[in-house]
Amino acid sequence: MSDNTASSAALPVLTVRDLKLHYFTSKGVVRALDGLSFDLLPGETIGLVGESGCGKTTTGVALLNMPSPPGRIVEGSIRIDGTEIVGLGDHELRRKVRWSKISMVFQGAMNCLTPVYTIRKLMRETYAEHFVGERIDAAAIEELMRKYVTLVGLPEHVLGRYPHELSGGMKQRVVIAMALFLEPKVIVMDEPTTALDVIVQAQILNLIKRLKRELKLSYIFITHDLATEAEVADRILVMYAGKMAELGSNEEIFGPVGSRHGPLHPYTQKLLASTPLLRKKVSELAFIPGAPPDLIDPPAGCRFAPRCSFAKEKCRSVEPPVAEIENRHMVACWKAMEDPEYVRA
Amino acid sequence: MCALKMSPAMPERPGYFGYDDSNVILELRLLRKEFHVHRGRTIVKAVDGVSFQLHRGEILGLVGESGCGKTTTGKLIMKLIEPSSGAIIVDGEDRTRLPREREIEYRRHVQMIFQDPYASMNPHFKVKDVLEEPLLIHKIGRTRSERMDMVAEVMEKVKMSPASEYMDRHPHMLSGGQRQRIATARTLILKPQIIVADEPVSMIDLSTRAEILHLMKSIQREMELSFLYITHDISTARFFTDRIAVMYLGRIVEIGSQDEVIDHPIHPYTKALIAAVCEPVPGRVGIERELQVKGEIPSAAAIPAGCRFHPRCPFAAKECAELPEPELEDIGGGHLHACRRWKEI
Amino acid sequence: MNLRDSMESLRDFWAEFSKVKTGLVGLALLLAFVLLGIFGSFIVPFPGASSHWRDITFWQDNPQAAPPVWVNFFSATKGCPSTTLTKPTVNSQDEGNGVSLETFVFTYAYRYDLPPRDMVVRLKGTGQVPVSITVERPDGLSAEIYRDQLQLAEDDVQRVSVSRNCAQAVIEFVRGQNEDLASTMSPELIKPIGILFSKLDTHVSDSPTPVKGEYKITVTALILSSDFKLDKPAISISGYVSGLLGTDASKRDVFTGIIIGIRWALIIGILTSVVSVIAGVLLGIIAAYIGGAVDWLLTRLYELIYLLPVLPFLIVISAIFKPSIWTLITIICLFFWTGSFKTVYSMTLQIKEETFIEASRALGSSAWRIMLKHISPILLPYSFASMALSIPAIIVYEASVSLLGLGDATIVSWGQILEAALSQGAVINRLWWWVVPPGLMIALMGMSFAFLGTALDKILHPKLKTR
Repeated sequence: MSDNTASSAALPVLTVRDLKLHYFTSKGVVRALDGLSFDLLPGETIGLVGESGCGKTTTGVALLNMPSPPGRIVEGSIRIDGTEIVGLGDHELRRKVRWSKISMVFQGAMNCLTPVYTIRKLMRETYAEHFVGERIDAAAIEELMRKYVTLVGLPEHVLGRYPHELSGGMKQRVVIAMALFLEPKVIVMDEPTTALDVIVQAQILNLIKRLKRELKLSYIFITHDLATEAEVADRILVMYAGKMAELGSNEEIFGPVGSRHGPLHPYTQKLLASTPLLRKKVSELAFIPGAPPDLIDPPAGCRFAPRCSFAKEKCRSVEPPVAEIENRHMVACWKAMEDPEYVRA
Repeated sequence: MCALKMSPAMPERPGYFGYDDSNVILELRLLRKEFHVHRGRTIVKAVDGVSFQLHRGEILGLVGESGCGKTTTGKLIMKLIEPSSGAIIVDGEDRTRLPREREIEYRRHVQMIFQDPYASMNPHFKVKDVLEEPLLIHKIGRTRSERMDMVAEVMEKVKMSPASEYMDRHPHMLSGGQRQRIATARTLILKPQIIVADEPVSMIDLSTRAEILHLMKSIQREMELSFLYITHDISTARFFTDRIAVMYLGRIVEIGSQDEVIDHPIHPYTKALIAAVCEPVPGRVGIERELQVKGEIPSAAAIPAGCRFHPRCPFAAKECAELPEPELEDIGGGHLHACRRWKEI
Repeated sequence: MNLRDSMESLRDFWAEFSKVKTGLVGLALLLAFVLLGIFGSFIVPFPGASSHWRDITFWQDNPQAAPPVWVNFFSATKGCPSTTLTKPTVNSQDEGNGVSLETFVFTYAYRYDLPPRDMVVRLKGTGQVPVSITVERPDGLSAEIYRDQLQLAEDDVQRVSVSRNCAQAVIEFVRGQNEDLASTMSPELIKPIGILFSKLDTHVSDSPTPVKGEYKITVTALILSSDFKLDKPAISISGYVSGLLGTDASKRDVFTGIIIGIRWALIIGILTSVVSVIAGVLLGIIAAYIGGAVDWLLTRLYELIYLLPVLPFLIVISAIFKPSIWTLITIICLFFWTGSFKTVYSMTLQIKEETFIEASRALGSSAWRIMLKHISPILLPYSFASMALSIPAIIVYEASVSLLGLGDATIVSWGQILEAALSQGAVINRLWWWVVPPGLMIALMGMSFAFLGTALDKILHPKLKTR
């Protein structure tokens, strides 16, 4: 189901079509990502949100074509800036795609900085692995590093420090700088603020918003927390059990429940109802009984049907396709689509 | 002045709490815990003079960022570590230092729910073994079948029924939410009076979180348990607790009913904390959050002189750094805070 | 853990274990060893040998330093194997006046090129009994090799050995056929048994030609009164070749010795490893969990013992105190507990920090409960692997000590057999069947435990993460 780009002037910087990534384990084939399609426009931030096991982190690593074994991209296409990256070899990916076209801030990356290297050495190493074009001299690299380190709000002398000398917030800024400084077009961030304290989290989110404004890059922001997503995402892609449940704008997803301009998928609605608010007293917090399905043997029909309070006959037998309800607002739900068979049952 | 058994080491109760004294089940008075690291050269003051009261049947939230000492306070109450000074008073009696036999009795009445639902249970034990352990330790139940009856009963209480279906499973065969139910059941089987819950739902999916919290609350109300709910997530605290205490760098800076503390915060740190929290509402993209706090949390080994928050406080004046640390001040209705300049801000 | 749970985890374990081929080989070998160890006494040709290993009279009918019987397959000249003739045809003839003539006729099919080393007739009975022994050869010649009046007692076995007692009689037999040939013979220099089984030509002494066929050996006894009697005699043929693994210089059947050795090897190996590993594991857990002074003490003890060289120590102790095998086992245990101690110590330090240990403490668990119920089960798999892997070294240590002649002389271990072989000149005399088997068995048993242990280690690899 292709995104309707006729109304947007720019070409998408990232297009994903029918992406499938499966893990071939000894217990069976885990269909972690089972057919995802979306477009990312330049300067846009898409928030990938969902709970554990929904496939959002899998999507992140798939976009850099680096599934961890025994995972493999079995189907689909990923085009970054026109270049198809599914099917490319590892060497080409490293030299031509990763970090130069698309980079990633991994979950918990701030704790994975090699403790025996200074920040300068770490960044230089990243550069050496991924540079594209002609080699530039050490002075130019230094200039580049200083530029981005300052951009993320750190003093220049941080380059000479070791990771353990920095606080959590500073380390996260370093990791973000490392993802930016080779100037890719798309940055994937996987839970960049989850491990941080509340106030530091707010500071980093402020940084991300500022970078968004100043650098006009495109981001994929992955998190399980809808509240964080609301801060940075222009559009939100809700995932469930390896598939897209809903893709809508910030206004639509956080809009009034029940209206056509609000969240349409029952899962999205329930997820919102489960997120506690701070400034408004909440008397009841919703929850969804049961657990996500087994991805080795997913149920027939809609994968959310077993836990959905609106599920009917059709939901349990036929899987709903991704349908465009409003302009660029996609849902994979028979009820949201007002499918006649569903309504009748 | 109530007739409490005074041991020579018990300090004078600081300030005036304004709550009904007769209903206090747990009271901490100027509790302190220091850790000597680097061969005693550095002293980390993890808990630096914490005083509060927990009333019978109440849920008190202990909220703060990492390093504020909330988990250490929980462990001190649980007697997993020994305090450096101060008093722990349960049911009017000083229980700070107990001989072995009295300590076992203490542990019957004070139980803990841990953050990681998997790590808190021995993976080799079956559910029935996990739940039987407290009975065996405290020599409750004369025969195995008598104990198993009690195990089944408590499993029904946490809605893990039919009990026989889950009894023989190992923890890894249960979902995160189910494991946390068993962890809760383990605390209940001894019919305690006080439960310390350390981030019980932070490692559980959003959609199941409310289910667990709902269960805990209904059990708490039914059994008239007194809960100390430790968390960094102030939004969940709002939903779950009756009163909230905000901790910063080893001390309580504000305490009061949750409506009061969150809707009418006094202390600048509480205000900053609340301002930093994100919510799932539309229209936040591109708007940077105003954070009225500077810098990062200092190390607990180098606590600032005077008011410990003053280096980061945007309203700090000379007196905040020079005068001794302000004590908790009651402004009525059980709402206490520790800010010298609150009337001017 | 009840029986059903144990069975279930055993089945899971077996599924994993059977995937590792070397482990199965090790297990098969071990099973073979254990079965032989238990039922060995039923299959050895000399039951009761273990208590009589150093009793000369027990082995006296065996040939000395005889090669195994199967060397006949590889040689054109077949040596005569040891055997026992026990079923004579009995004939009793009444001579009147209470006197009877009893004859016992043994048939012996001889089809070999190389004659036996000796033939021994064992007689038992009561009273004064005149006895004569005649050998009837296939070529028709008959020799009376013995005639005497024996004083028999019930528990006293009289042995008539052709080599020792019948030399003169054999010369007389030769004289009856060939006067000249007999005159060249003297009783001290001839081999009577060889002559008995060879053609009586001039080459009978240097390159004899065997006379093959059916031999009849008749033992005739005159029973003079009803009080006297002669029990059924038995004839032992001390072969040129003997047993599955030959005999040693003290006439002991090597095969029997090897089988008995299995029992001792298993006892020493398994007992020592089980005791030392359990000690090491327990001490490791205690030191790591309790910490403080106990930890300090145990770690210093560990360091001290770890530094001591085992073998020189064993040698010195054995030379001075000449300990029994049980003392030796104890001493080896005192050294070997250090092997598992350190690893268990490190593992316990990590396990100690796990949340479920903290939770158990919060519930009021005593330190012992935590160590026994929580920590030990996690270390159990590692313990089994450790036990299996320490056995080869233990067996070699015992063998080394025995080899130097310092071991417990009352037991029969492969080390002991090797020691006897080397000190009694097996190498010089090329008695390979005495030297190779014990060494091979030590290697085989060591190998089987090493395979088993490595396979166990691979599956039950000490998972420092308890998930």
